[in-house]
Amino acid sequence: MTRTRPITALLCALLLNSCGSNDRSDSGAERVSYNCAANAVEIKSLQAEIPAFADSTGVEISLQPFSGQEKLYAMIAAGQPPDIFYTNNVLRDKLAAEGRLLDLRSLSAADPFTDRLWPDVYRQGLSADGGLYSIGNWSFTAGVYYNKELFDKAGIPYPDTSWTWNDLLGAARRIAARTNASGEPEHYGIFIPSHFIEVFELMNGAPVGDQSLFLNFSESSLEIYQQYLALMNDRLMPDLRRIQAMGMQASQLLQSGKVAMLVEAVPHQVLFETLTIPWGVSPIPRFGNRPVRCFRSESGGLSISSQTANPEAAWKALKWIIAGASIYQPNPVLRDADFVAGWEARYPVLSGSGFREVWQRSLNHPAGDPRMFVRFSSWTSATILERLQPMLDKLWARETTIESLVAAQPEINRAARAELTRLIQRGRLDQKFVEAIEEQLRKASP
Amino acid sequence: MNKARSYDAIPTAWGTLARSGAVYILLAAISTAFLLPLAWMLSVSLQDIRGVFAQPFVWIPSHLHWENYADVSELIPLGRYFLNTVLVTVPVLLGTLFSSSLVAYGFSRIRFRGRSALFALCLSTMMLPGQVTMIPLYILFSRLGWIDTLWPLIVPSFFGSPFYIFLLRQFFLTIPREYDEAARLDGAGKFRIYWSIILPMARPALITVALFSFIGTWNDFFTPLIYINSPENATLTLGLNMLKSQIVGTGMTQWHLLMAAACMVMIPNIILFTLGQKYIVKGIAMGGVR
Repeated sequence: MTRTRPITALLCALLLNSCGSNDRSDSGAERVSYNCAANAVEIKSLQAEIPAFADSTGVEISLQPFSGQEKLYAMIAAGQPPDIFYTNNVLRDKLAAEGRLLDLRSLSAADPFTDRLWPDVYRQGLSADGGLYSIGNWSFTAGVYYNKELFDKAGIPYPDTSWTWNDLLGAARRIAARTNASGEPEHYGIFIPSHFIEVFELMNGAPVGDQSLFLNFSESSLEIYQQYLALMNDRLMPDLRRIQAMGMQASQLLQSGKVAMLVEAVPHQVLFETLTIPWGVSPIPRFGNRPVRCFRSESGGLSISSQTANPEAAWKALKWIIAGASIYQPNPVLRDADFVAGWEARYPVLSGSGFREVWQRSLNHPAGDPRMFVRFSSWTSATILERLQPMLDKLWARETTIESLVAAQPEINRAARAELTRLIQRGRLDQKFVEAIEEQLRKASP
Repeated sequence: MNKARSYDAIPTAWGTLARSGAVYILLAAISTAFLLPLAWMLSVSLQDIRGVFAQPFVWIPSHLHWENYADVSELIPLGRYFLNTVLVTVPVLLGTLFSSSLVAYGFSRIRFRGRSALFALCLSTMMLPGQVTMIPLYILFSRLGWIDTLWPLIVPSFFGSPFYIFLLRQFFLTIPREYDEAARLDGAGKFRIYWSIILPMARPALITVALFSFIGTWNDFFTPLIYINSPENATLTLGLNMLKSQIVGTGMTQWHLLMAAACMVMIPNIILFTLGQKYIVKGIAMGGVR
């Protein structure tokens, strides 16, 4: 008993020390909290640079590196939201409509920082009422990674910016022509993860980036669905379910030679750091003469709470996080940042890989973010997707048909309309948002 | 006659052997399936990042990267997080044991009006998902000024846990009341009986509760996530989460480091579970008798 007393006393002392009040020494600087979805490397880097930022601006940033929607809601409910936090489009619109977010237009209007942002980045931050509620803090596009060895072996030239969907199919057919004893291709031509089909819909001219209130399958989208199924039926692409069952990662598919081409995000650090095969990356192919429409995602960004005590200080901190903190530089959301050169310096393997061309094309032809979770309006997105996504999964598993999918459209839209009515009647949304939704509703024809 | 009997017994013995063999093979297969993720974790913790994504996966790498275990400490202050986790787990353990056993004692030994209804009410709180009580609790702790401290992780354990109360009450019911009566004749009061008679006799159940509580608190991610804001107050689970890649495309998940850290984090769990597993079975079995 006497032996355990010192240990108990030590534990109690440590506990009291760790459980002390949250108040910190008052250095006179304006304090801004930043709830960031950051990993250990980012936190270390930010922590090292925050004191210098505080010295030069008088704004002290306190990092809250543990984020999550539940935590954010709890903080908001308790009246203690962080000053700056990450929001995706849907969350941002909902919080903005409830008056939880600061409209950044008043702060950004006269600030030269706004001109440094790519126009599509700025646009992505706008909500239904025309207010600016977030600033994109990162951006990426998509491309086709390919195994140079397999292309050489099949005598196929490497893809470039001029290639088309038919070129891709031709290359995939030649690569997949050789089969093993069981009739399976030695190397599949391509693998397109199902969440990248939207990129091809975009390139095929489908109206997919319009934040629609309702589901409306276009001919261009349905054509892509058919092509996607044909890739699997013709054994140019491995069966999606099999790949999922095997738990194979994108880099494993390409590295192992199981596929010769892979559609993935650009930049993609896992691929850059783990591929040991000779590889290149090319833009998403065009469909005939259809105009080039590139995927660029800024589907999330940094928002400022409407309850912040120091809006100007929070705005300064937000700008620094995007354009000043070295860990995020060169930041692709900034026009004056040489993103490609920065990444080529970080990953020399990118020089001559096609990365520069893919990125440049995404800047020249930005057509928004077509992905399902941002394709629809924030107000109906969840209602539509919880019905549509299982059907799409079944379609890729070839357990249902495209016709059944189209037939389900009216029912899905009825549910979306019911959700909108409920949302408006509940009366929690700011009047400007209600008017904007009603206006959209009048224009829409489900 | 004897000869014939032993001759008859041979096929029976073979049959028993075959049945046992089949059962063991089945159990071994199931165990292997359960242990595979653990083996993967251990293997990945000793590889470099390329090894993680190698196809086919190499279970025993040619070069073991023991430095991964040291590298983790350079990325996150593992020692600090370990200390924070201990500072939470130990009081939670004590609080849970004391409060739950005291309430369980009341429900099992003291007769009062509305006892059954109160017990049912206590059990019904188990049906409430944590998310329902999260916001009111957050507001409460925020008014107390306890956000971003370890108090919200510790203090609730001093108010009893319905599952443990149920488990202990069931166990206490198996202890004959004659012990209480004998103690009462010797002049012991209710608390003395609880402290000196019931608790020592309920050791298997208490160890079971202690183990469950330890494992639950040590591995808890959600509660610290909600209440802790500053990196210096983080627990090990939050520290592990910091090794994952996040939204901005500046860092990929360092799986080899994450798995090395996970291996280290689970060591106390494995040790305690190994030491206390016989009590878990005994505690639950006896608690379920009545």
